[in-house]
Amino acid sequence: MRRVPTYCYQCVAGPDLLTVKVSDGVATEVEPNFAAAAVHPGGGKVCVKAYGLVQKTYHPDRVLAPMKRTNPKKGKDEDPGFVPISWDEALDLISGKLRNIRSHGLLDESGYPRVAASFGGGGTPQSYMGSFPAFLAAWGPIDFGFGSGQGVKCYHSEHLYGELWQRGFTISPDTPLTNYLISCGANVEASGGVAGVWRHANARERGLRRVQVEPHLSVTGACSAEWLPIKPKTDAAFLYALAHVLVCEEKRERLDLEFLFRHTSAPYLVGPHGFYLRDPKTREPLIHASLEGSSLATAVEIGPDDEVLAQGELEGATAFTKLVAHLAPYSPEWAAGICDIRAETIRRIAREYLDAACVGQSIEIEGQALPYRPVAISLGKTVTNGWGGYECCWARTLLAALVGALEVPGGILGTTVRLNRPMSQRHASVARGPDGLMAFPFNKTDAAHWSARPNIRNAYRSMVPLAADGPWSQALGPTHFSWMFLDGTPEGLPPVTLPELWFVYRTNPAISFWDTEKLGERMARFPFVVAFAFTRDETNHFADILLPDAGDLESLQLIRIGGSKYIEQFWDHEGFALRQPAVAPRGEARDFTDIATALAERTGLLEKYNAAINKGTLGVVLGKHSLREDLAHDCETIWDAVCKAASAELTGGTQAQGLKWWKEHGLATKPFPRTAWYLFPTLKAQGLRFEMPYQERLARIGAELGRRLHEHGMYWWDKQLAEYQALPAWKDFPGEWEWAVSATGGKREEYPFWLLTARSMQYAWGGNVGMQMIKEVADNVAGHGGVIVNRGKAKELGIDEGQWVTIATPKAQVKAKAVLREGIRPDTLLLLGQFGHWATPVAKDFAMPSMNPLVPMSLELTDATGSGADIVKVSLGKAA
Amino acid sequence: MTRWAMVADLRRCVGCQTCTAACKQKNGTPPGVQWRRVLDLEAGQYPEVKRVFMPVGCMHCDDPPCMAVCPSTATRKRADGIVTVDPALCIGCAYCAVACPYEARAKIDGIATKCTFCVERVDYGTASGLTPGVDPDATPACVNSCIASALHFGDADDPASNISRLLAENQHFRLHEDLGTGPGFYYLWDKSP
Repeated sequence: MRRVPTYCYQCVAGPDLLTVKVSDGVATEVEPNFAAAAVHPGGGKVCVKAYGLVQKTYHPDRVLAPMKRTNPKKGKDEDPGFVPISWDEALDLISGKLRNIRSHGLLDESGYPRVAASFGGGGTPQSYMGSFPAFLAAWGPIDFGFGSGQGVKCYHSEHLYGELWQRGFTISPDTPLTNYLISCGANVEASGGVAGVWRHANARERGLRRVQVEPHLSVTGACSAEWLPIKPKTDAAFLYALAHVLVCEEKRERLDLEFLFRHTSAPYLVGPHGFYLRDPKTREPLIHASLEGSSLATAVEIGPDDEVLAQGELEGATAFTKLVAHLAPYSPEWAAGICDIRAETIRRIAREYLDAACVGQSIEIEGQALPYRPVAISLGKTVTNGWGGYECCWARTLLAALVGALEVPGGILGTTVRLNRPMSQRHASVARGPDGLMAFPFNKTDAAHWSARPNIRNAYRSMVPLAADGPWSQALGPTHFSWMFLDGTPEGLPPVTLPELWFVYRTNPAISFWDTEKLGERMARFPFVVAFAFTRDETNHFADILLPDAGDLESLQLIRIGGSKYIEQFWDHEGFALRQPAVAPRGEARDFTDIATALAERTGLLEKYNAAINKGTLGVVLGKHSLREDLAHDCETIWDAVCKAASAELTGGTQAQGLKWWKEHGLATKPFPRTAWYLFPTLKAQGLRFEMPYQERLARIGAELGRRLHEHGMYWWDKQLAEYQALPAWKDFPGEWEWAVSATGGKREEYPFWLLTARSMQYAWGGNVGMQMIKEVADNVAGHGGVIVNRGKAKELGIDEGQWVTIATPKAQVKAKAVLREGIRPDTLLLLGQFGHWATPVAKDFAMPSMNPLVPMSLELTDATGSGADIVKVSLGKAA
Repeated sequence: MTRWAMVADLRRCVGCQTCTAACKQKNGTPPGVQWRRVLDLEAGQYPEVKRVFMPVGCMHCDDPPCMAVCPSTATRKRADGIVTVDPALCIGCAYCAVACPYEARAKIDGIATKCTFCVERVDYGTASGLTPGVDPDATPACVNSCIASALHFGDADDPASNISRLLAENQHFRLHEDLGTGPGFYYLWDKSP
């Protein structure tokens, strides 16, 4: 028996480290990597998903040879007729298509890439696809914007606004120090991974009080001190009322006035048209002598497109003064009628938050005195996306700013950056922008630079300035547009076309996106689909070629670990970890790196491919360990070079340990300073302010975007343009989904339930739904066997435990077994995870539906960031 | 003397079932058989409701009801507190499964089975100078795997052991203590006053 160190990155909350027991060449058992306990923020443990890897490796339904479709007709009800073929034939077919595409141009008549690629959630497939990113880089333009959930069903508003306000692609409490946490739907005990569970268990034991605000009693709610069953999609009202109490009811000196005055844009003077008053010469914003008040000043007020709106002696009020007036109507009594939480409870929570904030206190971290503000608010999926997401993110960040709990010990922290550059380096990404604020790479909205000719089909660059234009931006635009617009592109955009070749890896949009029935119909029109396949599934059912890549325990890759990363991965170390073959690949499965090299060679891209590897596409610049660019290198040679370069980077060039060393040790790290968890000192050192509370830039950009769109006859985004408010107002967010019932031909009173979903730790992001053991243990957690219904409501409707029920919208319905629980609002239903499989072996027999076929994919339910939400109004009745 | 026992900290458990999966994998139990599992319980009525996760399995009782009813003496209790089943003696009558108030037993291929506290690891550890509950190679798989550090294993008779310290510092209970079984499985729920 030997133990092989490797990593698990099946979900976005990883990577975590493990060892695999191997006896006689067979993987028998997964265990934590105890040797990593000292450096890993979860004690070197791995979560339940990793224990499914042995079954995954030996799954009886694995695709073990390349396969070719023989039935040219595509459709859910068509048998693809897959037959095994040789690797040579498979690679010839694919490279033939690719060479043909190159011969007539990488872009089609609409200007969209002819090749598209979709990968699964949160960038995790990149830790399994070896050197394929180098092939993609060598190829040229590719459309990564056909979504399978990313950009729409993620923490979308948090991604975009989090990066804008605090360089945080996701936002986390500083859990080791936070004492009071308001969690609006953040299901960290299910989706925070090992590090999240480990850190929160420690925090609870030391006395963290967490208040879970959520329509159902989730796993996280179960482990919280208090549960507030809020009405779905009203979190913004709850948060606004908390802010109201702090700003309009409590004594002003209880807030962190020093922080607000010196480190936010709160004292900037706002002019009569809602834009900052500026010095007529320098055009810098005028900063008032105090946080509150108004004054007359010689100034200029500049609006969209550099228009001078007013100049001369102008009266301005500080942004904070504007905020006070803005929050005045949002009292707890007002919110109580919206969120179904009592006013006195809201007021108590606000005061507990304020009491716990420790305004004025400091703490020493690694010899540096920093503000200590142990209060935080975290937001979950469906709260941070779709209509209301902006308002929730704004209110959360505002509440942190009011007590100075932004990017300081105990407060809310950004994890990493994906839109700002350099990638993953929060502190290095902080640069001086206009008005004393951090720079942000907005997509241009001025007349000279805005374009109605998008680079890809989801049009993120034209429609969503906040999505920026980096490597991750394609997945952070309105990724459902790529699918929707295949049936008709709205005015002003080039017609959306089918990609001539679509790569699919570790993603299953045919069940994981919205409106999955229609999505499948569109997928069936794709002319040539290449799916890297573990087993058959609902998406590769439409494929032309299936390629078996070597599995998690069979293949080779080195990745970066440590530093700070979502969701709660805050390390005191950083470095690299190796995933290595614990066992030989089964059947004809091939290491992804060897597949990528073969494709590069057969498409005439070998030199560009090797050059991309040398430049650092695999995570490390190879430098003196660079590969010869004219040769096809085998997998071990490529990763040996990456290992040496990584080793050199970690040791300042004193060592260059190769693959053999990494296979033995599995990982290597160096210290990562705790002070690097906090962004506040970096802003302070550069004399920059947090952009809170007033969103003058967003208001300007929204106005400019509106002008550009209207200049091109595009009026179909007007509803979204209204979201660009400097101080966002509460709107009837639940009403958006109630409206959708009427719009799809139903009567609102006949669809009284809110259908929601929640992540399941056993499955989330894992692509592991076909593992028998995972199913068995997941079924111990309530809700994995059907739809959760409030027990009292079920009794009222005559529905018994385990009875089949129908959940319906005016357009679609699904059936599920009733799971009766007390921990859910009577007006809410919950379907865990994303099931509804009809092709995936094992899972297709679960008889467990998903909400996805019920959620309409529509422009009206898309917010200004291009995001929707997992929520729909439904009826519930006994199944016939 | 040594009394091997397990401790579950209910403040820390999140019901993730990682212990369930680790146990199944290490012990090779067939589908549907779970020597370790975590219950997902509710108490109260909406909206005053609590949800609790509770790891359960064989409690390795001081006075195991399963042993008393075993007609073939297959079920025995070791001096160190671990309750064992000798498959060579088990006749599969299932009296033990009926007698166990913790529903901890399952028949596999006609033989009664249950959590063993990963006894072979414990024995290997003690023979090798390792400390069960501290050294992973001497510790039950469920405890090793726990991502919340909710599960602990150790010698309840050693006042200096990890679990004795936890029991001294926290309020705890055992399941069905009123039955007089003397479970070797403790649940922590709050700090000692």
